[in-house]
Amino acid sequence: MSKTPLLEIEDLCARVADKEIVKDFSLTINEGEVHAIMGPNGAGKSTLSYVLCGKPGYEVTSGSVRFKGKDLLSMSVEERAREGLFLIMQYPVEIQGVPVTTFLKHAVNAVRKHQNLPELDTMEFIKTVREEGKKLGITPDMLKRPINVGFSGGEKKRLETLQLAILKPSLAILDEADSGLDIDALKVVAEGINAERNEHNALLVITHYQRLLNYIEPDYVHIYADGHIVKSGDKNLAIELEKNGYAAFVKEQ
Amino acid sequence: MSGLLQKNIDLAGSNIPWLEGLRDKGREAFILPTAKTEAWKYTKLRDLSADDFVLSGTDEDKSHGEEHCTCGQGECHCHHHHEPQTNLPFAGYEIHFENGILQTLAFDLPKGVMIKPLMEAVFDGDDVKKYLGKDIDLASYPFAALNTAYLEEGVYIEIEEGVILSKPIILINHTHSCHQNIMAYLRNVIVLENDAKATIIEDFEYTGEEKSRYFNNIVNEIYINKQAKLEHYKLQNEAYKAVHISLSSVRVREGGFYESFCCQKGANLARNETKISLKEEHAEAVVNAVYLMNGWATIDTTTDIEHLSPNTKSQQLVKGVVGGNAKGVFQGKIHIAPNAVKTEGRQLHKALLLSDDAEIDCKPELEIYADDVKCSHGAASGELDKEQLFYMRSRGIGEEEAKRILVEAYLNDVINQISQEDIKTWMLSQATINQEEK
Repeated sequence: MSKTPLLEIEDLCARVADKEIVKDFSLTINEGEVHAIMGPNGAGKSTLSYVLCGKPGYEVTSGSVRFKGKDLLSMSVEERAREGLFLIMQYPVEIQGVPVTTFLKHAVNAVRKHQNLPELDTMEFIKTVREEGKKLGITPDMLKRPINVGFSGGEKKRLETLQLAILKPSLAILDEADSGLDIDALKVVAEGINAERNEHNALLVITHYQRLLNYIEPDYVHIYADGHIVKSGDKNLAIELEKNGYAAFVKEQ
Repeated sequence: MSGLLQKNIDLAGSNIPWLEGLRDKGREAFILPTAKTEAWKYTKLRDLSADDFVLSGTDEDKSHGEEHCTCGQGECHCHHHHEPQTNLPFAGYEIHFENGILQTLAFDLPKGVMIKPLMEAVFDGDDVKKYLGKDIDLASYPFAALNTAYLEEGVYIEIEEGVILSKPIILINHTHSCHQNIMAYLRNVIVLENDAKATIIEDFEYTGEEKSRYFNNIVNEIYINKQAKLEHYKLQNEAYKAVHISLSSVRVREGGFYESFCCQKGANLARNETKISLKEEHAEAVVNAVYLMNGWATIDTTTDIEHLSPNTKSQQLVKGVVGGNAKGVFQGKIHIAPNAVKTEGRQLHKALLLSDDAEIDCKPELEIYADDVKCSHGAASGELDKEQLFYMRSRGIGEEEAKRILVEAYLNDVINQISQEDIKTWMLSQATINQEEK
């Protein structure tokens, strides 16, 4: 059975402020797959996610990335999002003065416009957001508040998950999605993410703990050190890591 | 000599000695400010004096041939009658001015409310004589002096004691100068007797050629008596080459309350100036404003609040967004007289710069001669938050739209202080940055 590749990264090198952080990184993610990238703190895992999203200041020096067969690196940040790339951020940004619902509506309509779909009816949209929010324990009151302002760590991650549920990306990157979460919140977020999985989309889970992977089960686990993958395996690799630590793998090189 | 002050202009009521005397004082006091004039050092008047402005409504204004008309509509509509039209999403007593000329007043007013053309009030011998020019030092306000020299157009509004006006009085100023550069002078006198309550809205729009150049000069003289309350809202959305200079002079007596909000987004050169005298105890003023601009505009917000009695209170929150090569100016003066103990004066100005060439000049000035007062001022300027922009874009929102949303969010906390829901909604919809001139 041949699989359809969603994301194809080849020999990617990238730097931030003249510091080479991603070095000859290669990875292919097919539709329906869940990949986990694990690595010690400071290995540059977040850098990889920002490079893929096109964050200003993160400069690709060589290599290529194709997303659904298109050249991802030539797209702007918003074009990547509209094509179906989504990043659950480790530290979601607070935006004073912009209510959650307003923000979501702008985002959804920007994506829909890109897909030549008409704008959503406001009443219909609010109903959908409320229903999806309820599943994640997000109250209508939270939807009226400015984005992430005064939200707890758990609430911020739930809001990220709500955006995922509303925007329905093809590939979601979870950057340390479990940081700042207690075990109950972690379950809610993981369930929310799992509910969106299907045979055509995929997940890239970036984490340094195995904990999250108990709830979002990966098909592949990659160990990331010094800017690229040093070892790949299945979910058992994550369990092995949890037992023995990163040192053994990082030394191998 | 400046071309702004023209001779031999035929104004109504020139046979009334006190009125003509007042105009003479205006003529004598007017001197065009220069770069050395302290009150105008940040807001350069540029080529204002060199402009060949024609006074609106004069024979000269009307004498153009249609072949000279540049409005591009084939037939010139400049002096055809325009049906009063407005897109305001609420009802009120609408007073329409076209090119600074008052159109008919057609509404029934509740008992105790008088709205008249200014000259009619003068001819009728109403109290307007008591108020006209009484609180304005013409030597300090050159454009009020010029306005006084041309004193003729405007309205006289008087709300009798205890009368509470539920609907707003809306002064709608349409300018559609298209064949030649006009100048218009408006003088409104607004008096609230004891315990009266009213809302005034000023809306400045252009309906003609967007590139038209004209000069609107407005002076409002506002008298708020004991326990009276006036809410004053203003939208300045003039054509992008226009000049708009406005002074509101406000006197507040015991327990009176003046609450104002102004949104400036148009004109090439604009000053909205507010001078408030909190004359008696417990007089209070709120003077909030937002401004937004692009291109080469200069938008100026100047306030001067005098606390002249104990227990008076003032609050100012002004926020601006400046892009392109534009310049925002804020000058805020709070004066607390020696006897004005237990007063409170708060002032905060914040600005967002959208480009490297945008400029902000901010001059807070506190003159405190009394002890036991609470007084504060603050100023800050910054740029759009890059992390916020990235976050929004990473959700598919385009860069320009993300900026627009952040700009509106930046200003919303000022606009959200507007107490009347429908006016707040209107202002929220208006506070968007005009497209950069093409």
